[in-house]
Amino acid sequence: MPGDAVEDLLRRLAPQVLGALVRRYGHFDTAEDATQEALLAAATRWPVDGRPDDPKAWLITVASRRLTDLLRTERARRRREDTVARRLPPDRWLAPAADSAPPDADDTLILLFLCCHPSLPPAGQIALTLRAVGGLSTAEVARAFLVPEATMTRRITRAKQRIRGSGLPFAPPVGADRAARLDAVLHVLYLIFNEGYASTSGPQLHRADLCGEAIRLARMLHELTDDPEAAGLLALMLLTDARTPARTGPGGELVPMAEQDRGRWRGEQIAEGVALVSRVLPHGAVGPYQLQAAVAALHDEAPSMDATDWPQIVALYELLLEVADNPVVRLNHAVAVAMARGPHAGLDLLDGLAADRRIAQDARLPAARAHLLELAGEPEAARQAYLAAAGRSMNLPQQRYLHSRAARLR
Amino acid sequence: MIMLYGSQQDYDAMAGRPGGKPPMSAEQVAAMHAHMESVHKELAESGELVDGRGLTAPVHARRVQLRHGAPVVTDGPYPETQEVLAGFTVVDCASFDRATQIAARFVNPDADGEYVDVRPVAEGIEDLDG
Repeated sequence: MPGDAVEDLLRRLAPQVLGALVRRYGHFDTAEDATQEALLAAATRWPVDGRPDDPKAWLITVASRRLTDLLRTERARRRREDTVARRLPPDRWLAPAADSAPPDADDTLILLFLCCHPSLPPAGQIALTLRAVGGLSTAEVARAFLVPEATMTRRITRAKQRIRGSGLPFAPPVGADRAARLDAVLHVLYLIFNEGYASTSGPQLHRADLCGEAIRLARMLHELTDDPEAAGLLALMLLTDARTPARTGPGGELVPMAEQDRGRWRGEQIAEGVALVSRVLPHGAVGPYQLQAAVAALHDEAPSMDATDWPQIVALYELLLEVADNPVVRLNHAVAVAMARGPHAGLDLLDGLAADRRIAQDARLPAARAHLLELAGEPEAARQAYLAAAGRSMNLPQQRYLHSRAARLR
Repeated sequence: MIMLYGSQQDYDAMAGRPGGKPPMSAEQVAAMHAHMESVHKELAESGELVDGRGLTAPVHARRVQLRHGAPVVTDGPYPETQEVLAGFTVVDCASFDRATQIAARFVNPDADGEYVDVRPVAEGIEDLDG
């Protein structure tokens, strides 16, 4: 069996194994170490000895044994062993009947909820999710976020301690708590995706992998819940990621959407994203991810910038402002208005944004002004705005792009 | 720790801004990134890479000073020609000589006089106590 196949299988099984262990024994942090060790054992032994008949059962058995070992070596040995024995419900003292279906999918979802608990800081949520649910090693997570492995180890350890300290039960959250936790889960997956998507520059490794991982986890979440926002987030990721091949030129420079070769966008991903949005949008509560996905779908389906359905995009941004008002949405709304009703209508909206302290210092504001001034036929004002935007940007490819736009207007 | 240096002018050239130095072309910047990436990839594969980071342009720097006991924040007073730390790579390797060998790969062979510095990282406070 090729190494890649083993790796894929292990990553799929990792959250199920960890979930089973935590559900049976508690001790999230030690169970996580035990699971990692079982995965490691499988990764080294399966390619040599062959894959066991029931890989998951093998992993759970090995991880359980390892968990017992780890707990035994801890200080309050006897007490902990007693606890473990007591936590094992009587119906688990015997092997389960062969025909009983174990609730694995549920475990993965609970694990995701646990890792994304709102009491953890976002960096901790991300790290823990990638490690516990994504099955990435600490070194891989560290590399993806370009921090030393020791830093990532501390971050993960702190997050695990916090989960232990909080006394959170390993159970699916219910009611209002479930909605809040699902929001956190969606947000964490969105952050992971953006981390992979937004930085394509410099000597940075493994960023495309991060997008792929975010999509994989979003797909899992979508399959485990019937939540329309989970579907919306998956669609948004697919529709955004579909443009990746056309986003950078041969020299690594940014290519704005207006100039991208739309033939290079990934058609299959677009079709899947559009189908998802079309299915969820007409039903029930409309949330920000669905709306953003709908905007992305309109862009992806348009044959060119000019042929884009801008009035429809304006309408979607107006809905988005109602559910999630923030300056970035306002900025995008202003640009869409400019495309639908002319640059001056957009510039008026941007002027209203300049007083918003949350975005006043951001490079995106003068960059959008510059584009609209250029469209309005005011090259000198546009050039100044491009230069102002370049001065505020901290991202080199973006600075290069803005300088080149300014140079064109001389 | 291998330390790389650059001036605001170097950053401007990389950002394609006309100024004290001729702006670099997109191909030149891409080639530079590709070189850095390949060195870092090799170090990651050999297990010697600990961390590598680039810093943003000096104009984004802030300097924090104490004046009469009160912290005062100013823009970093970097003249355009003065070189400041532009990025660093931390390696964990067999010897100081090996680190020096690695450092040589970070020096641009086309830029006469360009340099990087290599300095051993202290393992703990006891290294500094002497």
